[in-house]
Formats: sequence, C-alpha cells, structure tokens
Amino acid sequence: MEIEGLKFRNGFQTIKAPNYFMATITLEGVTAHTCGQLPKLGSKAPNFSLVDQGLNNHSLNSYLGKKVVLNIFPSVDTGICANSVRTFNREAAELDNVVVLNISRDLPFSFKRFCIAEEIKNVITLSEFRDSSFSDRYNVLIMDGDFEGLMSRAVIIIDEQGMVIYSEQVPEIAQDPNFEAALAMLK
Amino acid sequence: MAKITLGGNPINTKGDLPAIGTEAPNFKLVDESLKVQELSDYKGKKIVLNIFPSIDTGVCANSVRTFNKEATDLENVSILNISRDLPFAFKRFCAAEGIENVVNLSEFRDTNFSDAYNVMITDGGFAGLLSRAIVIVNEAGQVIYTEQVPEIGQDPNFAAALAALKS
Repeated sequence: MEIEGLKFRNGFQTIKAPNYFMATITLEGVTAHTCGQLPKLGSKAPNFSLVDQGLNNHSLNSYLGKKVVLNIFPSVDTGICANSVRTFNREAAELDNVVVLNISRDLPFSFKRFCIAEEIKNVITLSEFRDSSFSDRYNVLIMDGDFEGLMSRAVIIIDEQGMVIYSEQVPEIAQDPNFEAALAMLK
Repeated sequence: MAKITLGGNPINTKGDLPAIGTEAPNFKLVDESLKVQELSDYKGKKIVLNIFPSIDTGVCANSVRTFNKEATDLENVSILNISRDLPFAFKRFCAAEGIENVVNLSEFRDTNFSDAYNVMITDGGFAGLLSRAIVIVNEAGQVIYTEQVPEIGQDPNFAAALAALKS
C-alpha cells in the first residue's frame, strides 16, 4: 500500500515521498527533513562505495572484522563538523580495532586540505560526490531547507560482523553528536 | 563524449560544450549563502562561467584569483566560478584570499548544470567532478566563447577569454 506523503523538493524538483519514512530534524531551530530513518539497530549495515582523499573507492565491506564508526555530517568547512572530526581523531588513537570514517559531500580535496592543516591522521575521510548511494541507503540526505542536498549529522557504529549496534540522528544540525555515548560503545 | 587528459592520461567528459551562437542553457546552482542562483538572474550582463574540478586544487584556485583580479577592470561582466565544491569550501577560500569580485556557485544538489553544459567527467579519478572549461555568454544569453581545456592540469586561456569580454 502506498501512503500519500508530503511533497518535498529534491534537487530542485518536487517529489512525493511517503511521510512515514521522513525523519524530522532542525537547522538552527528551523524544521527540516531527512529522507528517512537511520538503519535499525541489529540490522545489517548497508554496503557503500565512497571516495577517499586519494580518489580511491572504499566500501564498508573492506572493513569487516573491525568496529566501524560512521561520523556523518554536512561539511568539514563548518565548525561543529570540523570539531567532530578532531574529537574522533583524538579518541581513535586510543581505540583498538576501530576505524573512524568521516563522511560528507565535501570534495576529497577539501578533506585533504583540512586534514593537512589540522594534522588529522587517525581517521579516514570519505566523500559522496559521485552519486547518492550512501545517503540513500543510510537515509541521511536532507530534503528541504538551506541544507537541502547535504547530509544530516549522524553517528552510526557497526560491529565486527557488519551489524548496526549504535545510531544517533542528531536532532539539531548545529549541535554536537553525543561523543560519550558513541565512545562508550567502542570501549 | 569529449576527450581530455588528466596528468596526461586520457579521460572523457559527458560531451561537447554548448555551441557558439546557441542560447546558453539556464541552470540552478547554490551560492555561498546557500541561495539558489540561475543564469537568467544575470540577463543583460556578459557572464563568464569559470568551470573547474575543485577550488582546493592549485590550478582551479589560481583561475579564481586571476578572474577576481581582472573583474575589477571589466564593465557589466559577472564572473561565476562553478564546481562541485560545497558552498562552505568556497566561502572559506574566498574569506582567506580576499576574493570579492566574483560569484561562486556549487553544484552539489543535483547535476542540472553539468548535464546541460556537458562538463561532467565520466571516468578516471576525477569521475563525478566538472572539467576545466570557460563559457562566455553575452547580454542576450547567447554563447559567444568556449574553451574546453584539453588537460585538467593546465590553465585556461585567460588572454583569449578576456579578449572575448572586451570585444
């Protein structure tokens, strides 16, 4: 059964999406929507292909056997996103068998510039600029408002077997993720 | 498909740039303030589309600096720098470099610009980025000059583009 949803702009076109999929967040207090709910706890994390600073593709499957943190955000060139990369970079140095993947729609060149300037060496940055397969599968694409077309702020942790064990859709984009809760899952 | 090179290796773009004399396709892109801008907003001006892979690479950054410097001497001309960099990257770059005479537009929401202008790179490490190209549109919205730079690591022909603006 198809449920009639609200109309949302996607890439300047109006599309219909079933409203039970939508997640509501805020951008400095203004309501916005993502394209859906994060993958459920206990479900298998969808595979993806994203591009690193060397323009090489990385898939989630290549990290099987490790705990994987997906630190998802709008842009490394904004303060809160940059801070989350710094925080995970610092913490990652003390974590065993954990890989932190920072994911946004920033181009790889922007990530590279940032990581060199900030001496970020313990985490991986991955860019979704070739298609929207990651944000479609993880439901992190923002569908309306000024941040339409960017990713929402979210943290997902995947265990060694590829199952989702933790997720946070940060309710307000201008707010830090819950680092403590995420790190507790990793230790 | 148009053939170009990246560091000497052959790669392809989606196709040929719009032909000279044709009407420049309209587009919607996003500026540094996250506002949508269209080509039609600039009707009545000469418009330079300075298209490139990423502001965070040397040749692209240099082209923005060059056009920013030249723009002060040009009357009734708007320079639009266009890439798939996020607006935040453009903003940081321009704030750091004091770039004030040009407009920066990002294609991150869809591919309407690169589809219409055939500037998407389709293979190799730069697949999904825009090729380096210059398109000049006159006051009536017609394409009057184009350059598909044949090698990504090479500057566009600034002198020829500037001559087209002053003619």
